[in-house]
Amino acid sequence: MQTLLEIHDLHASIAGKEILKGINLTIREGEIHAVMGPNGAGKSTLSAVLTGKPQYEVTDGTVLFKGRNLLEMTPEERSWAGIFLSFQYPIDIPGVSISNFLKTALSCRRKAQGLPELTPSEFLALRKEKMALVQMKPEFLKRDVNVGFSGGEKKRGEIFQMAMLDPDLSILDETDSGLDVDALRIVADGVNRLHTPQKAAIVITHYQRLLDYIVPDFVHILKDGRIIKTAGRELVAEIEEKGYENF
Amino acid sequence: MRISKMQKVLLINEWGLAEVLADGVTDGRPESRAGGLMDGLDGLTYALAEGESLSLVLLVLPDAPDAVINLPVQVKMDGPNSQFELHALALAGERQKVNVRVDVEHPGPDARSNQLIRCVAGGESRIAFEGLIKVLPGAIRTEAFQTSNNLLLSEQAKVRTCPQLEIYADDVKCSHGATTGSLDEDEQFYMRSRGITLEQARLLQLRSFVWPVLAQIEQEDLRASCDEQVSRALATMFPRL
Repeated sequence: MQTLLEIHDLHASIAGKEILKGINLTIREGEIHAVMGPNGAGKSTLSAVLTGKPQYEVTDGTVLFKGRNLLEMTPEERSWAGIFLSFQYPIDIPGVSISNFLKTALSCRRKAQGLPELTPSEFLALRKEKMALVQMKPEFLKRDVNVGFSGGEKKRGEIFQMAMLDPDLSILDETDSGLDVDALRIVADGVNRLHTPQKAAIVITHYQRLLDYIVPDFVHILKDGRIIKTAGRELVAEIEEKGYENF
Repeated sequence: MRISKMQKVLLINEWGLAEVLADGVTDGRPESRAGGLMDGLDGLTYALAEGESLSLVLLVLPDAPDAVINLPVQVKMDGPNSQFELHALALAGERQKVNVRVDVEHPGPDARSNQLIRCVAGGESRIAFEGLIKVLPGAIRTEAFQTSNNLLLSEQAKVRTCPQLEIYADDVKCSHGATTGSLDEDEQFYMRSRGITLEQARLLQLRSFVWPVLAQIEQEDLRASCDEQVSRALATMFPRL
């Protein structure tokens, strides 16, 4: 199995405050990693730093993605390289339909990779195939990105975008927040169907719930900017029982 | 029979000249007159009689790099149950100057006016918007709203916005508000994380900003062609990307 992501002694801060205090994490193809931890542990900071959110400053450490220095890449270059973040709070963009949004995203990527644009019929075929994966109705594509979406629609929209962009490493940041059981199941089904032995995922969550549906190979506890414990999926039940305080 | 509902769409590229893109009744009958020019224009003046409804869409897209456009708009809500909607968009770059002044007067009761003015200033341009809503004594049950949103694309560009309300009647619903800001970085990050380049992300943001004005254009073909024209103008506002 090839290594996809190698994080070594990663330190990061925002507005001068250190949030990540030495993260080490290696992710190989085919693996699903759950990152769990209390509020303020640095879970969202980790996803922000991996995807290149401008406000965050990496003060020490290295991150390699497919052997390349991830930290030198712009957010769009990271996307082209195969990283995707499902946002905890997806942003709404009035006046821009989901279809147009994704067409623009794919066209930017293909241009950067020196590939010709998808023809309209290729784009339509791709759309249709991926919509089925997340049980999405065609009307949805005409709606403006995240505008007036319910919590469930937003997260389903994120997974649809993920399906369209077909990343090698998906980071799901609190994808379960604000979802009822039915929406949770649809989202998790989508993620599971997109998973292949060549792909990997990082599932960031507070709770056990999502991990009943997306079964992790590894579970990490992130606390105060460090991974303090790593184990198999049995750790989820232990956390649920003991709480984060006792680790 | 009185014309109850009409829409006018005006395109203004230079001082004193407006191209009429749509002008006519909009309740289902394709009677819209278009293609005319209003020359020697020193302002737009409308008076709305009882039951009349006017939707005015103004697209101010100056042509020349040092163009100056002054545009006063005066509207009098003369009759009860009259309704006025203004959706205006002004884009200025380089050394262009745009001054828009909108006066809406409510002399009598039961009329409704609503305004949305969106301005984008890049380069070393200057945009000034002044809006006055005057609700005279006796104009009870008036509803009058005004929103001015401005986007600054460069540090040299300046926007001045001055919405004013004068209310001399009771039992009215009125509001005004103004915002001025730059393109949102969280939005940009969201788009970039999907592989959209910063340049394309900015264009989508601009489109998103101007859309509420364009969306008001009722004829679909016209809306599409205005959208295209505005998008072209927006694309030239970031010369160095």
